[in-house]
Amino acid sequence: MSDLQNILNLSASGMKAQANRLRHVSENIANADTPGYHRKTVSFEEVVEQGAKTGAVNTGDVQLDQTELTRVYDPGHPMAGEDGFYDGSNVELMIEIADAREAQRSYEANLKMFDQARQMSSSLLELLRR
Amino acid sequence: MFENLDIFKMASGLARHAVTRQEAVAKNIANADTPGYRAQDVASFEEAYEGNQAGTAMRTTREGHMVSASSQETNGFRLFDAPGPSSPNGNTVSLETEMMKSSQVRHEHDLALSVYKTSMNILRTSIGRR
Repeated sequence: MSDLQNILNLSASGMKAQANRLRHVSENIANADTPGYHRKTVSFEEVVEQGAKTGAVNTGDVQLDQTELTRVYDPGHPMAGEDGFYDGSNVELMIEIADAREAQRSYEANLKMFDQARQMSSSLLELLRR
Repeated sequence: MFENLDIFKMASGLARHAVTRQEAVAKNIANADTPGYRAQDVASFEEAYEGNQAGTAMRTTREGHMVSASSQETNGFRLFDAPGPSSPNGNTVSLETEMMKSSQVRHEHDLALSVYKTSMNILRTSIGRR
């Protein structure tokens, strides 16, 4: 029974991590046109408690993508330099959409595991009924 | 009559195996995007059953043998690294395979509970209750 509880915890940690990733993706998309914005990325890592791997997952520190910012030509822009260019963001919408899709897929897989563990524990409790 | 009680032991062993494997699957799915994570799987119930002639009563040689989650053995079932191609970040989890495993687990758990329930009914009938 405690194993089933453990499965619920594991799946919940997975869902939390994927939701966090999706949040950063939406931040990136919202800031796709912000001048000077670097896209944020998060990496996943296993949770280690007292030197042992628990199997749960957690998101690591937020990192900024250090690829070069796109140079946008717009002499009328208030931030444009003397040559008429200004620094845009380095967000690629296509990459963000693909990342969002992947996060959604993984989230659903975790949700499915959660639901299955729940059903298994309820059918186990069903044995007590007469 | 009472030697037939072995079937209860077997059914609960099978249920425990299903839960242990489900835990491994949930762990894999939670870590589906963790760089460097190796997918794990639990050895089949047949193997655990063959290796232990006295039903599937868990043999512990030492205190705390069954509770350690980090060792290569959980609940008396052997854990191993699941084979499979790894993605560029070193992760070997395939969501499709895990989904397939989880439906096998579901079937195994249902089977164990049905066997348990039926045996219980037979026992009840034999002591004169319906």
